[in-house]
Amino acid sequence: MAERIVITATGIISALGLGTKKHADALINKKAGMRHPLHLQTKHAQEFVCGEVDYSNDELASLLELPTGDNGYTRTTLLALVAMQELMQNTDTKLFADNSFALINANTVGGMCSVEDMYPDFLSDKTEGAFLKYIDTLDCAESTLNIARHFQLKPFIATISTACSSSANALILGARMIQNGVIQRAICGGCDALSRFTLNGFNSLKNVDKEQCRPFDGNRFGLNLGEGAAYLLLEKESDAVARGAEILAIFCGYANTNDAYHPTAPSPDGTGAMRTMGQALQKAGLYAADIDYINAHGTATINNDPAEGKAIQMLFSSKQPAFSSTKAYTGHTLAAAGAIEAFFSILAILEQKVWPNLNFNTPMEEMNIQPVTEVKDIPINHVISNSFGFGGSNVSLIFSKA
Amino acid sequence: MSKLLKMGISCGMNALQKAGIEQPQAIITGTGRGSMVDTEQFLVSMIANGEEALTPTSFIQSTYNSINGWLALQTKCTGYNQTYVNRGASFELALFDAQMLLNETNENMHVLVGCFDEITPDYVKVKDKIGYWKQPAPANTDLYQHSNTPGTIAGEGAAFFTITNKKENGICSLEAVKMLQGADTAEVITNINNLLAENNLNISDIDVLLCGMNGDSRQMEAYDQLSDLASDHTTIANFKHLCGEYDTSSGFATWLATELFKAQEIPGILVARKGRHKGIKTILLVNHYILNSHSIMLLKSL
Repeated sequence: MAERIVITATGIISALGLGTKKHADALINKKAGMRHPLHLQTKHAQEFVCGEVDYSNDELASLLELPTGDNGYTRTTLLALVAMQELMQNTDTKLFADNSFALINANTVGGMCSVEDMYPDFLSDKTEGAFLKYIDTLDCAESTLNIARHFQLKPFIATISTACSSSANALILGARMIQNGVIQRAICGGCDALSRFTLNGFNSLKNVDKEQCRPFDGNRFGLNLGEGAAYLLLEKESDAVARGAEILAIFCGYANTNDAYHPTAPSPDGTGAMRTMGQALQKAGLYAADIDYINAHGTATINNDPAEGKAIQMLFSSKQPAFSSTKAYTGHTLAAAGAIEAFFSILAILEQKVWPNLNFNTPMEEMNIQPVTEVKDIPINHVISNSFGFGGSNVSLIFSKA
Repeated sequence: MSKLLKMGISCGMNALQKAGIEQPQAIITGTGRGSMVDTEQFLVSMIANGEEALTPTSFIQSTYNSINGWLALQTKCTGYNQTYVNRGASFELALFDAQMLLNETNENMHVLVGCFDEITPDYVKVKDKIGYWKQPAPANTDLYQHSNTPGTIAGEGAAFFTITNKKENGICSLEAVKMLQGADTAEVITNINNLLAENNLNISDIDVLLCGMNGDSRQMEAYDQLSDLASDHTTIANFKHLCGEYDTSSGFATWLATELFKAQEIPGILVARKGRHKGIKTILLVNHYILNSHSIMLLKSL
């Protein structure tokens, strides 16, 4: 049997703040990070609440000791660097001195947050100006390459983009590469900044809630968008033990499957999500009854929540675990969501607490199970974290108590 | 449906059809830019319409994994599905993942692996501002006569392959794939030598050296050194004058390699220096993208 993969360091930034403590405090005190955006320059700013990180671009740059102003770093990259900085500060950087590690990043719209402001300049006949610093920032790998450059790393580099399951896939790739003996360690995660492109994109699909989103609620309307970044350090249990590292959790199972149902909507009967969670359990060598908590994808869209809810209801028919969506805290952070919620799952194990599903009032007609709505102290040994995306891309991750 | 989606989906389905596979067990792709047409269309109309009255089609199709979703839908493939968006290493990462996936199973498995990228007038204009292209653009067949100036010519394409862990009916084997980021010439050469050594090969064992030189003077050094290292056994062949430069041009080159294995001869248009080898059993593909990424791939006939 393959050796166990463990998580030994994390770094995170979201609308809840920067770092582990800010996130634990917000989750415990039921303090959501949603408000009308201040930094995102959209005409819809007063219409929608978003999970916007409080720091401005200049403040983020200062945290990184980078020049402020038009420094060529997009907000996406700045968020990634700040989250990575936390991870690096908590890790012996000698681990990254050689190249036996991978940096696996995930992203959905690259530096669109900057490009959308400068695109008219891009297309103009101008050949000079600050916009030139951002001209090669639209693609997803920009943030990945900047992480490596900023921290002077020379890792195996990969960038994944599978919509809202992107960074959950980054974690899977890291674990597989370690188990295949390609590398010794992997830093895996994802980043996305709010952009007018995504806000208007989801709004054109009519699934953005103007108020705070209501996951698994019968009266839900849609999602709130958020932004952030999170990175986790993965290594073999024996390597972590050998260097005396604190093991935060065991990453014991995962599955990546496809709904093969519709370009954007999940299979409504929940079979897709059930298949993913089921395969993850199989990979982990666990039974459904072993799971104590599910950090659901729970976007609060009309389509996702009943499909995911039905899947949970069917798969865990013998014993329903506690479940909740933390999307009402952070908004849907797209490519960062998988890693942010992996972190929340690990935090649930460390604190032995189930995180509440905010804004739940009315049960959905389609299902007879309900999410946890208060912070609940229960023994937590095994947690499933779900991330489902456009293109039918479904991922489930399982974390266990060390 | 936009051009890139049509290109990607039809190419993927075509590869499956040729292999006689109705349903792969996994679908893995790489793209540097995804659907530029859809991204530009949503972006431009959002700016022009002042964030009002937008339709979602181009937004949905701009998602990098939309072709993967369609291919899964077409083939009812509920298995592993992955999309890499990592500039010049995107297709290589897809191949690398497929290789790992096949190593992880004892069962017979078919993986659909592919790549796709497109050019648009806006993309060409934007990247011209940072010196991507030769100005004026030479005729593609004359590209290498302009290797003393910076810049290249733009290209696009899609390529798909069915990859399996069973030898029967196979065209060639992928022995190794390696991606390098920000490597200088010395590092590139060292990595090529190491990769060959790991596979118990010498540079003189290579029948065809398929080079991704793109006419950019700044990128000639590695290829020049490689040509010097190659013995008279090896044919040195180029491909980018035929497909142009794009993030996933390695997909075109890999397709070309499969055609060379099948035909056992090399069309003159590819040849930079003819070698003395008999037949084509081993192909080393060395590629780079724009300024800072390289990849090396070792393919063998079955």
